[in-house]
Amino acid sequence: MNCLICDAVTPEPVSWRTLFCRDPTPDVCGRCMGKFERITGPVCPHCGKASDGLCGDCAMWETSGYAGVVSGGRSLYTYNEAMRQFLHRYKFLQDAALAEVFSAELRKALKGEAIVPIPMNDKRLRERTFPQVDRLLDAARLPYRHYLTKRDSVQGKKTREERIAAPVLFTWNGEPVPARVTVVDDLYTTGATMRHAAHVLREAGAEEVRVFALIRG
Amino acid sequence: MDEIEAFLTGRIWLRDHTPFQKEDIDTRINDGRIRTIPGITGRQCARCREKDPRLIAEFACSRCGKNCFYCRHCLNMGRVSSCTELITWANPSSSGGHLHSFVWNGTLTAAQQKASDELLASFHKKEDHLIYAVCGAGKTELLFPPIFDALATGKRVCLAAPRTDVVLELAPRLKAAFPDTVIHALYGGAPKEAGFAQLILATTHQLYRFEDAFDVMIVDEADAFPYTADKTLQRAVQKAKKQGAPVAYVTATPSRKLLRSIKNQSHIFRRYHGHPLPEPVYRPLWNYRKAFRKGRVPPKLKSWVEDNAARGRPFLLFLPTVELIDETIPYFQAIHPGIRAVHAEDPDRKENVLKLRRGEIPGLVTSTILERGITIRNVQVAVVGADEAIFTPSALIQIAGRVGRAADCPAGDVVLFHNGISRRMDEVRHLIRSYNKGGAPS
Ligand SMILES: [Zn+2]
Ligand SMILES: [Zn+2]
Ligand SMILES: [Zn+2]
Ligand SMILES: [Zn+2]
Repeated sequence: MNCLICDAVTPEPVSWRTLFCRDPTPDVCGRCMGKFERITGPVCPHCGKASDGLCGDCAMWETSGYAGVVSGGRSLYTYNEAMRQFLHRYKFLQDAALAEVFSAELRKALKGEAIVPIPMNDKRLRERTFPQVDRLLDAARLPYRHYLTKRDSVQGKKTREERIAAPVLFTWNGEPVPARVTVVDDLYTTGATMRHAAHVLREAGAEEVRVFALIRG
Repeated sequence: MDEIEAFLTGRIWLRDHTPFQKEDIDTRINDGRIRTIPGITGRQCARCREKDPRLIAEFACSRCGKNCFYCRHCLNMGRVSSCTELITWANPSSSGGHLHSFVWNGTLTAAQQKASDELLASFHKKEDHLIYAVCGAGKTELLFPPIFDALATGKRVCLAAPRTDVVLELAPRLKAAFPDTVIHALYGGAPKEAGFAQLILATTHQLYRFEDAFDVMIVDEADAFPYTADKTLQRAVQKAKKQGAPVAYVTATPSRKLLRSIKNQSHIFRRYHGHPLPEPVYRPLWNYRKAFRKGRVPPKLKSWVEDNAARGRPFLLFLPTVELIDETIPYFQAIHPGIRAVHAEDPDRKENVLKLRRGEIPGLVTSTILERGITIRNVQVAVVGADEAIFTPSALIQIAGRVGRAADCPAGDVVLFHNGISRRMDEVRHLIRSYNKGGAPS
C-alpha cells in the first residue's frame, strides 16, 4: 500500500486484526502518523485543550449567556504544523481521500455516541464539494444524524465580545433530538461554533450536549 | 494578442482559477476562441495525464450531485475533478516576428563552444540531444547561443529544471542575456507575469500546465527527475512540447538509459576554469547516531566544523534525514550559534542561503535539498552518513560539485563521513577521478 499523505510505499499490513475486524485501518505510514500530536496530560473538561481545569476560553463562555450549554468535551490532537498541512490539503485543496486518515482514532473515541456533526451551509458545501465532518465520520464508519442547519452568515475575525453577542449560527431542522448528544467538529478554535450548536440543540430538547473536536486549535 | 490569449496560448488551466474576469473568459468560450476540456476523462487527468487508479480518487460530489473523480497527483495546482473544466486557447497564432537580442560578455571555452555548436545542430535537425557536463563546466552559458537562435527564428522555448531553487538561480541570468525577450519564471507560488512569454523557465511540475506549447525543450539537471519512478513527469515533458519538437537533456550524472537512448551527445569533463574536480575524502565516523543521541557531536566532525568556522570558510553539512537535522541542530549551534538548519519546507531557506553567501553565518546543516543550484564562493562540504541510501551517486556528485566552482578558489573540502564505505561512494570517487583524467568513465 501507499501512504495517503506522503505516498511512500509501506508493506501491506495483513494481520488478524485487519482480516477479521471491521475496524477501519487507514493507509497512512507510521512516519506521517507520528507527526500528529495527541493531546496528553490534564485537559480542560469542556473542550479537551491541555489545561489544569477549565481553560481561559471556556471560562469566558461560562460567564456569558452560553453558560452551562456544554456539559463536557474532548479533543484528540493539537493544531501543530503537520495538522495545519493536513487541514490545508483536506479542506482547502479538497483532497477528499484524506478523510480516512483519522478513521481508526475517531471510531475508537466516538463509538456508541449519538453524533451530531457541525453542518455547512449549501453555498459553502458546493464550494468545498464535500461535507468535511460527515466524511470523517463516514470513514470511521460512525452513524450520525443532522439536527442543525447552518445559516448563511459569515464568521470572520471577531473580538471575544462580538463572538458572544453574534446571532446564533444554526437553526433546528425540527427533527426530535435525543436526550444526550455529542456535537462533532474537525477543528475547535474559539468555541463559538460549538456553543451555538449546543445552545440550539438544548432549546430543541437535548438534556446533555457534549462536544468533540478532532483538533483543538 | 490580448492578455488572455497571451496567457492561455499553450497553457491548460482550470477554468475557475484564471487571473481574469469570469465574463471575459465566458465570452471567449462562447465564440470558440477558448476551448474547454473536461478535467477527468476515462479516469485520466487531463492536466497531468495521471491514470493510476490509486491517484484518481472517487468521491460523492456535492457540487454536481454525482460521484466524481479527482486527481491527487497534481492536486497542489488546484484540484482537477470530473466536474471541473480546463481551458486552453483554441487556435494559437504563430508567435514569431518579435525582435530578440543577446547580451553576454563572456566567452565560451573550446569545450563549451563545441558542445554549444553540437546542440544547435541537433536543434536544427529537430533531434534530441544530451549534454553530459560535470558540475561547474558552465553548462548554462553554452545553452545561450542555441536558445537565442531558437528565439530569433520565432520558436517558443522552455527550460525546465527540477526545483524552484534552480529556476530562481537561472532566471536573472537568462533575463540579463535576453533583455528584449519576455521571459516568465514559473514555480509554485511564483508571481504572475504579464504578456506572452517566448521563453519559459519552469519547474517540471509546472509543465503539467502546458500542452503542445514548445518548439524547443531543454531539461536541465535531467538526472534529478526520478524518471523511472515518476513516469508522469516524463509524460509532462512530452505533453508540454509540440509534436516532433526536440528535447535537450543537460546533466552531470546521466542515467544509463539516457546515455544509451540519445544519439547526439556532447561531453564536457573539465570545469570551465580548467581546474580538476575536488575528490571526495573518506573519514570514518563510527556510530555517529549513538553519539548524537547522547547529545554529542563526534570529535572528528566537531573539529571539521570548528576549523571551517574559525577560518571563515562557509560550509554545507549534509545529513541523511530531516529528523536528524532537527535533533542535532542545537549541538551544532553549541559549537557556533550562527549555524542554521535548512529544510525542504523551510520558509527561511532562501534567506539562510543568502546569509551564508554574504558571510553572515558560518554554515548550514541541510538535507539533500541544497545539493543543486547553489553556488557559494569557497564553500566546503561534508556529508554525514555518506553510506546511507539517500545519498545516491548523483546526489553525491552534485554535493561534491558545489566545491571549487570559482576560478580563484578552485579547491576545497569534500569530506564523506561514513559508517562503512558504500559501493555508491566508491562509484562516485571513481567517476570523479576518471573525469579528472579527462576520460569518460569506464
Ligand atoms: Zn506517510
Ligand atoms: Zn476549554
Ligand atoms: Zn492530475
Ligand atoms: Zn462533481
